[in-house]
Amino acid sequence: MKHVPRKKCPPHRRYTLELVLDGNLAELARLTAETARFCRQYALGDDLEFDLNLVLEELFVNSVRHGGCKAVEFEVAMTPDGVTLEYADRGPAFDPTQAAVPDVTAPLEDRPVGGLGIHLARQVMRDIEYHRVDGWNRIRMRRPIASEGT
Amino acid sequence: MIDFTQETRGGWLVVRVKGRADAETADQLEAALRSAVDQHSRIAADFAALDYISSAGLRAVLQAARAAQSKDVEFAVCGMSAPVKKVFDMSGMQHVLTIHGELPC
Repeated sequence: MKHVPRKKCPPHRRYTLELVLDGNLAELARLTAETARFCRQYALGDDLEFDLNLVLEELFVNSVRHGGCKAVEFEVAMTPDGVTLEYADRGPAFDPTQAAVPDVTAPLEDRPVGGLGIHLARQVMRDIEYHRVDGWNRIRMRRPIASEGT
Repeated sequence: MIDFTQETRGGWLVVRVKGRADAETADQLEAALRSAVDQHSRIAADFAALDYISSAGLRAVLQAARAAQSKDVEFAVCGMSAPVKKVFDMSGMQHVLTIHGELPC
């Protein structure tokens, strides 16, 4: 099929951070720098920056280590009360909303070493939705600026 | 980026951790804390200058704490900033680690 270039979009009216990361943990530095730049540009606050960085790292590391993904992509968009995050990869189907909850009260010797990252993501974010669409994992969630914390 | 400095003070080996404990630096953190556990019987991990921690960093601390437990070494985590402490609390680390607001020495 002949490639038809898309019409040039009008300037972005939404305040977003869109990023495609290679499936390589060295990309964490870029993830962190871009998240910081976005949050500071729009004065979203240190707590939101920390949580967003945390969630993105956990999702990204999960995609690379467990999903074997060669790339992931995400978009953070400002909303009147905070941000929404849409994250996507083409790894094996993985629904974070159904992931087993690790026992965070187990004694030291019985502590599971896996599953903690997704647990943290579920703690700091709200309204997590998962869809499997055409071979893509698509995860959507939001983080209000005034988070009551946990 | 993560950096470590060590100092013996009041019967404790204080390991000061500065920077970020993420999936890229977690191995360095675990190595630094384990090396301390091999050197001394009381370890204080000073996290006052730790800006960020993810589950990878938590795992590194957990593994070092396990190594300490198996060697009967006292292991305490100290001086965490509020956001870092939140990550520890969400993971239930307060149930398995000795956590101090300030250095014990």
